[in-house]
Amino acid sequence: MTTIETRDRPRRTTWQGYLLVAPAVAVIVLLVVVPTVIVARESFAIPDPLGGTLGGFTLDNYATLLDPVYLKTIGYSLGMAAANAVVCLVVGYVVATWIAAARPERQPLLLLLVIIPFWTDFLVRTFAWINILGSGGIVVTALRAVGIQAESFVPSQGAVVLSLLYAFLPVAVFPIYASLRSIDPSLPEAATDLGCSWWQTQRRVILPLAAPGIAAAVMLTFVPTLGVFVIPVLLGGGLDPLVGNLIVTLFTEFRNQALGSAMAMVVLVLMLASVAIAGIAMRIAASRRSSS
Amino acid sequence: MRKVIGTAAIVMIGFLYVPIVAVVAYSFNASPVSYRWDGLTLDWYAALLQDAPLLAALRTSLLLGVLAGAIATAIGFLSAYALHRFPIRGKGVLLAAVAVPLVVPEIVIGVALLRTFSTVGLQNGLLTLVLGHIVIALPMATFVLLGAMRALDPSVHEAASDLGAGVLGTFWRVTLPILRPAILAAFLLSFTTSFSNIAISTFTAGVGTTTLPIRIYSSVRTGLTPELNALGSLMVVLTLVVILVVGVGQMRRILAGSAPGSTP
Repeated sequence: MTTIETRDRPRRTTWQGYLLVAPAVAVIVLLVVVPTVIVARESFAIPDPLGGTLGGFTLDNYATLLDPVYLKTIGYSLGMAAANAVVCLVVGYVVATWIAAARPERQPLLLLLVIIPFWTDFLVRTFAWINILGSGGIVVTALRAVGIQAESFVPSQGAVVLSLLYAFLPVAVFPIYASLRSIDPSLPEAATDLGCSWWQTQRRVILPLAAPGIAAAVMLTFVPTLGVFVIPVLLGGGLDPLVGNLIVTLFTEFRNQALGSAMAMVVLVLMLASVAIAGIAMRIAASRRSSS
Repeated sequence: MRKVIGTAAIVMIGFLYVPIVAVVAYSFNASPVSYRWDGLTLDWYAALLQDAPLLAALRTSLLLGVLAGAIATAIGFLSAYALHRFPIRGKGVLLAAVAVPLVVPEIVIGVALLRTFSTVGLQNGLLTLVLGHIVIALPMATFVLLGAMRALDPSVHEAASDLGAGVLGTFWRVTLPILRPAILAAFLLSFTTSFSNIAISTFTAGVGTTTLPIRIYSSVRTGLTPELNALGSLMVVLTLVVILVVGVGQMRRILAGSAPGSTP
């Protein structure tokens, strides 16, 4: 048997495989892992007044982040990220449900319609809203036409929320769609036959089965919102910065790399926490499924 | 309920196109202010061609996108091929490692790269930009190519080796030609990922290497002009061209196989 195997298949040894993945591993290690370790180290270093660091070990940078000014930004960012994740989840669920229920041959086209705006340049998608919400934009003009006095909706928090939803919605649609599609259609049918209403079928059959996709959607919308820095500046006037703005400001304007590194580590820890929570949620959903 | 879902979904998908249509429409508005419509004009497109700093940024972004896209596609191809065809241990870990840049906020990667480059004494410029963009384009390239390889019929390779082709012969004369569209798709998607990136570029661009998104960002901060709408319209067209070149068939496989591209 083994002789046939070696004759039928070209001989491929393990080391060749490792050689082929080596460049990718090098990129990840040298340009992701090592830099992250350096930032982690910097976040405990003593800053010097010129923008560099003096080395040493201190917890002062993290203590500084407990200052009400920073805490307020972190709290606001978490709230904004959570709100954005929830809105994206609800809207994404509706869109994904609809696409998954469409005729199979039409589904790729509908997905393409969702992804075209997403692949359009991020900045273009963001400043596009100024056309619509800004002074003299369509919305203001329309409101004036019906007699409502309005000036401009940019900058405003509403514009930031809308633009965040716009930026992240497709990211929520895809994982939910993927998990909805893997559900055996006979299950909701059976639930309906057994007398479940639409809501009951959703709550008791589809939602538990779609849990992994939902967890992924939350993860992919919640964490990246923390890193956004363009939207609060362009549509929020920079009045309510997100953590992302704080990191950019600390690095480029305040030239405090140690504090900026500490802030970046906070985002990284939040990201790891949300990945862990999503993982646990998926495991719970999986064990429920196998036990029921 | 079904009707409500359908209507809501159609409204939401329509909502995705409102800003894009607005950008294109305002780019043709003869009036420099958005509250007045003075008829159609192409003046703003002409103005773009006169904007030297903008053209310089465009050149940087194009060069950067081609370099980072090509390198990411090459590295992604090697690792996808290895993961697909070779008995490697820890495939799950490797795949997860490649996916890391998709999950870690880009701003954290940007900050980390900035620190690293200054630690090793590398001055910010085209090289640091390329390195940073490889990081974010690599997951895209790897997953697109891995998806394409998995969709290949394994018997094709067996037939080739039965007919006497060696490993390299099979690769050059069978695998590579079949995968050509997927490679093009991986390159173009890596290119667009690089071309539209702002977070990493903010930290890795040098004085003489302003990218187009950085230029646009600083321009919009001082005020949105019809000229920027014209530029935005051209970038919308670029996206559509990429999608058309990649092809609907290829796109279908990508959509089925992987999560959509980078997060902003």
